[in-house]
Amino acid sequence: MKEMIVKVKNVVKRYSEKLALDHFNMEVKEGEILGLLGPNGCGKTTAINCILSLLNFDKGEIQLFGQKMTPNSYDIKRQIGLVPQEVSVFENLTVRENIDYFCGLYVDDKNTRRRYVDEAIEFVGLKDYVKYYPKKLSGGLKRRLNIACGIVHKPKLIFLDEPTVAVDAQSRNFILEGIRKLNQEGSTIIYTTHYLEEAEMLCSRIIIMDNGKDLVSGTTEELKAMITTSEKIVVSFLSLEDEMIDSMHKIPHVVDIEKKGEDLIIKFENGNNNLSNLISFITEHKLTYRKLYSQLPTLNDVFLELTGRELRD
Amino acid sequence: MSHFIRNCIYQGKNLFREGSYTFWVILYPIILATFFYAAFGGMMDPSFEDLKVGVEENSGITHVLEEIDFINIYEVSKDELVQKFENDEIDAFVDDNLNLTVNKSGINQTIIKEVVEQIKQTIKLNRPIDGSEFSVSYVLGRDQESNSLTVIFYSLIAMVSTYGVFAGVETASLIQANLSNIAIRINSTPLKKQNFLIAGVMVSLLLNLFANAALLLFINYILKIHLFNNIKYSTIIILLGNLFGVILGIFIGVSNKKSSTKTLMAIAITLLLSFFSGMMGPWIKVMIDKHVPFLSRVNPISIMSNNLYRINFLGSTKSLGEGVIILIGYCIMLLFASYLFLRRKSYDSI
Ligand SMILES: Nc1ncnc2c1ncn2[C@@H]1O[C@H](COP(=O)(O)OP(=O)(O)OP(=O)(O)O)[C@@H](O)[C@H]1O
Ligand SMILES: [Mg+2]
Repeated sequence: MKEMIVKVKNVVKRYSEKLALDHFNMEVKEGEILGLLGPNGCGKTTAINCILSLLNFDKGEIQLFGQKMTPNSYDIKRQIGLVPQEVSVFENLTVRENIDYFCGLYVDDKNTRRRYVDEAIEFVGLKDYVKYYPKKLSGGLKRRLNIACGIVHKPKLIFLDEPTVAVDAQSRNFILEGIRKLNQEGSTIIYTTHYLEEAEMLCSRIIIMDNGKDLVSGTTEELKAMITTSEKIVVSFLSLEDEMIDSMHKIPHVVDIEKKGEDLIIKFENGNNNLSNLISFITEHKLTYRKLYSQLPTLNDVFLELTGRELRD
Repeated sequence: MSHFIRNCIYQGKNLFREGSYTFWVILYPIILATFFYAAFGGMMDPSFEDLKVGVEENSGITHVLEEIDFINIYEVSKDELVQKFENDEIDAFVDDNLNLTVNKSGINQTIIKEVVEQIKQTIKLNRPIDGSEFSVSYVLGRDQESNSLTVIFYSLIAMVSTYGVFAGVETASLIQANLSNIAIRINSTPLKKQNFLIAGVMVSLLLNLFANAALLLFINYILKIHLFNNIKYSTIIILLGNLFGVILGIFIGVSNKKSSTKTLMAIAITLLLSFFSGMMGPWIKVMIDKHVPFLSRVNPISIMSNNLYRINFLGSTKSLGEGVIILIGYCIMLLFASYLFLRRKSYDSI
């Protein structure tokens, strides 16, 4: 059985008036890539800072590697890597010096350190920039440096706080690929994001967060199975009267029909033959459509059903 | 140990490469020194150190005057007197009864007159005569104008010895998670906060001492102003000034949240203290000494500049002990106050 590396139980964190974490729970098993998914301001960064004992919290319990985490838990810290949300590097040290400095806080042996630093530079693709100062790097390259400084010592547990914000699509894929590789090499990953696809693509398990609470947790499939909508069919008719929409509600398993511009999004709950039932209806009423396709629900649908709001990129 | 050295090297590089740091700590003092030299240079009295006093052969007064640093003694017989005066070989003549003869009036004559007056008084009071005492009380008592430049330079040196304040501010913000992003990262590593701080303090001290040395060499060899006679005590004062500066910086750093105001605050504090110690012109110092003497006894920069002045210019160590104790007291107080902020390891808000 895989070991439980992170245990967060009923943590409450209040910033003077604002309740940032509201009985927040989270458990992470060794080897997972856990996605912490939620909109801006839902408390992702606060959760990480509490877990790392950088922030005090009002209530609850946090354990890392089976031990209570405190600001003085240096043995625990030794096994952790943090990629903070804000770029956090020395402004007047070069790319290589920055990576080497942080590596040196964990790795004593000179040769090992040199190898690790080289690998981290390779990993984030900053080979051509080793002598650059951070202020000369573009925003995306700075983020890559920020990542390198957090993972260079090959930690067992890595926190990545929205590492791909403001990074172009190509760099983003590069980074995601790298994170998968870190995971394959044995690191457990905690990854916060508000990008749905990213979480879906990368994470082996996802916790959806809102207003400081953990709403649900599970694999993408499990999350999608939790909601009533199991299939969405998008149709675009040439013309359609409103009464016709009403009669569509009588098609078996239809739970909701939403009009979005030209498109009609018909949501079905669990059930078979939804598409053929719809097509029968269309033929029966002699309707003309321009396009018609079936969609599986996305995490956005999950979030929508849980909170009544959309979580869009 | 190697961890410590690595921290020193990297923190040192990070500080030293900071443009504003190099400017304030290295270039700015040299620019100020040059500026003061150009602006106030005329006030320096070059003949001050060699007043030429004629005395009678085998005069009883010789041994007293000999001890006064800035007086050179010439044995002159009364017959030669007129000629010596005319050739400017002596500024004044003192006979065995302490009667003073001069042939013109000037600053040199005034100084000699005052010294002689004091010798007379001491004799009247039946106190043992010690030449160095006269020079001390004389120079302290007289209008300071003729050695303005010296006062200004001692103030300048006192001020820049506290310029570790900038490095202190920077070091503090690098390690306090509520002050900077990088501190969040550093505090998530196994590096102990105190180790980072100690390395930061060491580096700040070293860099600032290096900057001080650059300034002193500049003053000594380029401006050719010789300020130091007593290297040992001067070094103690400058070292204490450095320690005070760095600790003040740490205190300013940890006790304030916003970073842009902190450097300004450091500049303002050091500049104000230096101003009161007479760096912008000695009149302010004279005024403070007269009306609020307490202020110059507790102003750390005054303590340093006054003591540098007394030690090197007057050869007096009278107020050194008190000064050292007050400075150390400040360091301990600021250190303790900083500790109250620093010992917090996790925050309510970052
Ligand atoms: N230092 C602070 N003082 C007061 N309120 C804060 C502080 N930091 C965060 N908050 C508030 O707490 C809530 C949670 O913030 P947090 O930064 O954890 O969100 P997040 O999920 O990381 O958001 P984002 O996706 O934008 O990074 C927000 O409403 C935020 O405004
Ligand atoms: Mg955040």
